[in-house]
Amino acid sequence: MTLDLAQFHETFFAESNEALDSMEAALLKLSAGDADLELVNTIFRVAHSIKGGSATFGFSDVAAFTHTLETLLDQMRGGKRHVDSGLVDTLLRSGDMMREMLAATQAKQPIDKERVAALHAEIELIMSSGGAGAAVPAKVAAPAAAVLEEADARSGWRIHFVPGPRLLRNGNDPLRLLRELATLAPCEVRADAKWVPPLRELDPEECRLSWRVELDGAVEESALKSVFDWVDGECDLNLEAFGPAAGTPVAPTVPAVAPAPAPVVAAIPAAAADEPAAPAAKAAPAPTPAASQAAASDGGSIRVSIEKVDELLNSVGELVITQSVLSQLAAPLEGRDAEELRSALGQLERHMRALQESVMRVRMLPISVVFNRFPRLVRDLGQKLGKKIELRLTGDSTELDKTVLEKIGDPLVHLVRNSIDHGIESPEARIAAGKSAHGVIELNAYHKGGNVVVEVIDDGGGLRSEKILAKARERGLVGPDEELSEERVYNLIFAPGFSTADVVSDVSGRGVGMDVVKRNINELGGHVQIHSTPGKGSMVRIRLPLTLAILDGQLARVGSEVYVVPIVSIVETIQARQEQVSSIAARAQVFRLRDDYLPIVRLYDLFGIEPQHTDLLDGLLMIVEADGKRVGLFVDELMSQQQVVIKSLETNFRPVLGLAGATMLGDGRVALILDIPGVITRFQSREGQREPSQRAA
Amino acid sequence: MSPAPKPVNGRVVLPANCTIHGARALQAHLLEQLELPGPCEIDGGSVQQVDTAGVQLVLAFALDCLERNLQYVWKSRSAALEEAIRVLNVGALLEYPA
Repeated sequence: MTLDLAQFHETFFAESNEALDSMEAALLKLSAGDADLELVNTIFRVAHSIKGGSATFGFSDVAAFTHTLETLLDQMRGGKRHVDSGLVDTLLRSGDMMREMLAATQAKQPIDKERVAALHAEIELIMSSGGAGAAVPAKVAAPAAAVLEEADARSGWRIHFVPGPRLLRNGNDPLRLLRELATLAPCEVRADAKWVPPLRELDPEECRLSWRVELDGAVEESALKSVFDWVDGECDLNLEAFGPAAGTPVAPTVPAVAPAPAPVVAAIPAAAADEPAAPAAKAAPAPTPAASQAAASDGGSIRVSIEKVDELLNSVGELVITQSVLSQLAAPLEGRDAEELRSALGQLERHMRALQESVMRVRMLPISVVFNRFPRLVRDLGQKLGKKIELRLTGDSTELDKTVLEKIGDPLVHLVRNSIDHGIESPEARIAAGKSAHGVIELNAYHKGGNVVVEVIDDGGGLRSEKILAKARERGLVGPDEELSEERVYNLIFAPGFSTADVVSDVSGRGVGMDVVKRNINELGGHVQIHSTPGKGSMVRIRLPLTLAILDGQLARVGSEVYVVPIVSIVETIQARQEQVSSIAARAQVFRLRDDYLPIVRLYDLFGIEPQHTDLLDGLLMIVEADGKRVGLFVDELMSQQQVVIKSLETNFRPVLGLAGATMLGDGRVALILDIPGVITRFQSREGQREPSQRAA
Repeated sequence: MSPAPKPVNGRVVLPANCTIHGARALQAHLLEQLELPGPCEIDGGSVQQVDTAGVQLVLAFALDCLERNLQYVWKSRSAALEEAIRVLNVGALLEYPA
């Protein structure tokens, strides 16, 4: 039976991208001079894993490129090459290239071979230029992490490694495995060439050598096994612990393999070519306590598709609704049985809430998923613009719903790019202003009041409100005599196409983006604020809901229908008085709220339903806000506030302007969830059609 | 006194890229050399990249030479080749017995 490897492709691509993220993070931590072995090992492991996986899956372009990169990394690992910013830059670009090649392979698109060849040649050039110093010492000091402790008596591992016929073809190389073993502890290697056939009969892509290695040190079994991760199933491997940590008698010394030239023998498959195993090799090595612990921690997570989690969340949402229906049905019942039923239903409700929260947590990811892209961005852009910038990240373990995270990434990138381009001054300008030559950009994330707050702070020149106001007046966004508060002036930068940049660069300055930033954040049910101090810097604060699957809503009744109004959009709710209402056209009315006049949106009119009240004085006005616009929503009455599970209209029906979705209420009724920006757009469009010359607002 | 080395008839120059990617070409080159009579010289001075497949080919060549009593000498080995030979611990197998 042939194993269909294609089923593993998606997992490979996902894991490779994650691994490339960690490779980039490690590269950005590399400082000039002698490379930190731990960091270089991390980078090397990523390249090695991707190369092995690519070769296994037949992605030969990726495997060949990564092979060369791996060789360069191996030189660094062997201490033959010093780290400088040029080398780090090449490695970062190599990571980008691997990501690009993997994306193209995944999308079944052609790889840009010219660019790959150019970078490949650059790496080859680096490798051939000097740096090829002393060979790796025979006994490499083991990293502290891998060695548990110095044992009084000798302890370690005896390894018998017999490569299988496909090991080399799949991009694996015993040379690297042996080098990697040497990084764990001092080791003694003995090669066995007796199965190497005459040159003419040798398949050059098949390894016929085998090795016995004695690793001298209490190395964790998991560390040892991780060296052989990618050759699992492609070799015969025996690991035998010896010494006090092994908990087993020390096995007899493995006799040295005679290095005498082997007589010509028929080719024997490597798997069957093994000599009779040494007695101790048959027994599984007894793991050390630390090794057992490491083994127990392995497999602590599984990869599950987001669709499966969403299905689960949806089912839990349905259960919550059903439980709510049951509670309502039980409410009017009387008697002792009814009391017991209500008590059991109360318990059910508590369990349901706990279950719902647990499933919600499954969708939560740390914001570091988004933050991790910024060290590279700040480094590259700072270099490009000749600015010295330090990036500080705090709260990167703050968790957010996956969908929110996916949508917040681009707005944050835009804000950080803006801070680098327009906020942070050049080193000369900073020194002249009495500041440090290094600018600082901070990204903070934290929980506050059921929301997540993300801040982008820079210590640059700050926003120049007079320049913003002048530009806004020039563009007619603000009247010549109109006075605006500082906050409203700053908010002008979110107007479409607004820019005060004197020079349009490829980084920013075209005025495209800040409006998109605000729109994206609003679409997430979030809110954005700007604070700035001239000469000292700016802060953009974004407030985001924890999740998009559940909404905090205010239930409002219009006739027999119930609507859910997102609480984040509600400013206040009032009962109108006659003197506050003015008619400005046949049907258009505005409402005076302190110094503002707000259009009145009659929901029954907008959605064509029969209301209980049509007189504004009989119902309530909910003042809602979206995109800087406020309107008064006229409803019959307010009901309770509650969290509702959002059901997509688009998936279950079709998109409707002004509606964000639907939900099921406890009494089994369906309530429509209002999308306030959509409601305002729908209202304006309707008014425009009705009375083009007399529309309100 | 050790016997004077016989004059060298052939010369094996190992390529800069002595890896699995050029393994078949290297095998062909080594097989040609095996057909020549008399001692030969192996020049590994320009090897920049080497892997187990490359070393194994040179090893198979060296073993065949021993089998056929074809003497060989190493002219030079690059640092990369030396390191690979040492890590794989095949140095003793690659030396022609004195």
